[in-house]
Amino acid sequence: VTIPWAVLLVGGGYLLARESSTIVDGWAAVIGVLLLIAAELGSWSIDHDARIQAERSLVLRRIATLAALVAAALLVNFMLLATAGLSASPGVLLAAVGVAAAVAAVAVVLRLLRA
Amino acid sequence: LRRWATPKLAGYAGLSGAGLLSALVFARPELVALTAPFLLALAAGLTLATPPSVKVGVELDQNRALEGEEVDARIVLQSSTPVDRLELYLDLPDGIELREGKNPVALHLRAGERRVIELKLGAARWGGHVLGPTYVRARDPLGLLVWETTAETRPELRVYPHEDVLRRVLQPRETQVFTGNEVSRHKGEGIEFADIRRWSAGDPLKRVNWRASARRGDLWVNESHPERNTDVILFVDSFAEARRGDEGTLDLTVRATAALADAYVGRRDRVGLIAFGGILRWLVPGMGVVQLYRIVDALLDTQVVLSYYWKEIDVIPRRTLPPNALVIALSPLLDARSVGALLDLRARGYDLAVIDVSPVPFAPRPAGGIDAVAYDIWTLRRDALRHRLQSAGVAVAEWRDDTPLQAVLEEVREFRRYARHARV
Repeated sequence: VTIPWAVLLVGGGYLLARESSTIVDGWAAVIGVLLLIAAELGSWSIDHDARIQAERSLVLRRIATLAALVAAALLVNFMLLATAGLSASPGVLLAAVGVAAAVAAVAVVLRLLRA
Repeated sequence: LRRWATPKLAGYAGLSGAGLLSALVFARPELVALTAPFLLALAAGLTLATPPSVKVGVELDQNRALEGEEVDARIVLQSSTPVDRLELYLDLPDGIELREGKNPVALHLRAGERRVIELKLGAARWGGHVLGPTYVRARDPLGLLVWETTAETRPELRVYPHEDVLRRVLQPRETQVFTGNEVSRHKGEGIEFADIRRWSAGDPLKRVNWRASARRGDLWVNESHPERNTDVILFVDSFAEARRGDEGTLDLTVRATAALADAYVGRRDRVGLIAFGGILRWLVPGMGVVQLYRIVDALLDTQVVLSYYWKEIDVIPRRTLPPNALVIALSPLLDARSVGALLDLRARGYDLAVIDVSPVPFAPRPAGGIDAVAYDIWTLRRDALRHRLQSAGVAVAEWRDDTPLQAVLEEVREFRRYARHARV
């Protein structure tokens, strides 16, 4: 429960810091991914139970999954900000649609891979 | 299979929604960039989540073991779907401990994979132990959804108490009619010399005592004691016990009863069992190894069950207590009902010996004050109770864990040797 609030606070802080600026910040892509990493590591530590002896491959697998997710998120974010940078005014709406489309595409690809 | 969403799913969904909405309201593309990774994680996690289909079975190498032995157990998993993270926990009952292996364990299963988890279990305490259930929990790769189920494979492991080897047991006053190892007090056909008497018609020639005949100038024959078997009833008091940690008076009682049953069955005696407590159990006297297994199996199910019902000796079926049987009672003498039953048995003329499985070592004396006085009164009352039983002609010996059972039996033997019958 605390992780989303922490992420929300950090995001809010970042937004306040960028309040006066009208230029789209390219570092937002990295910050978004860093927030995801922080949230994932936080939930991993909460899930961790020292009594359960996990196989080593399981830990490596989780690290690999997290790395893949971070890479994909970074890619999506850069594409998103690049798109938003092209036109500033209708960028937000377009970006939202773009995010939804990108995510849907990734989901379809993953579902196909899984099948 | 019960499915539920983790708080992470709700948290990511909330963050994504709030972030996208804020981006539209504040017209900040950066907010979309902050939100997009969570949205992506959400979509990827839900897409990759597949309901698991796993069969779980628990197998034991053997279903019977002796106290202190190790038993190999296997948890067999067969999955028809990929499971990113599967957590397993085999619930072990009290008395069974994990010696080697991983429990609980987390692992990954591919589709169609069969996995065997080897465990080495230690049988720490006697009893009929039911293993399991096995709790199974599966998670999707990003931990958004959880599936839980319980595998109901529950094998039973019967752990037999380890027994002392008894060199000598209590001899009953009366023997039965069948052949056994006990030398009867009566005279008849046997090996043990009893007396000599004058020859009478029909006496076989081999029984003539030539030395005595030559001295007396007349034919004299040897008389002997026949070897007979006896009826022994093992009376286990399961009304109450004193327990401290892993050990209690019931554990000592069960081990001693098993040792006694083994010794008497080895002498070809008929042995019966009465577990007198909250739940009454009995076994009519019988002979042989099968009877020994019956007794030990019945002992494994013995437990202290709280009961306020006042039981008297009349509730025991008559054929469980044959006449002339030796009744050996093992009791902590904590419950008035069992003490009353023992006195009742003695009053009915049964040959009774009581092994007082002492609860005193399981209840340490308080440091001081009124508690210490109460403790001292309690121990004095126990002494008085033993004296009361002895006054009734019952051989009583106190048994503490650090004393060998054989020594206690010898104490009872000595009492029986010199004590006289008493009318009660």
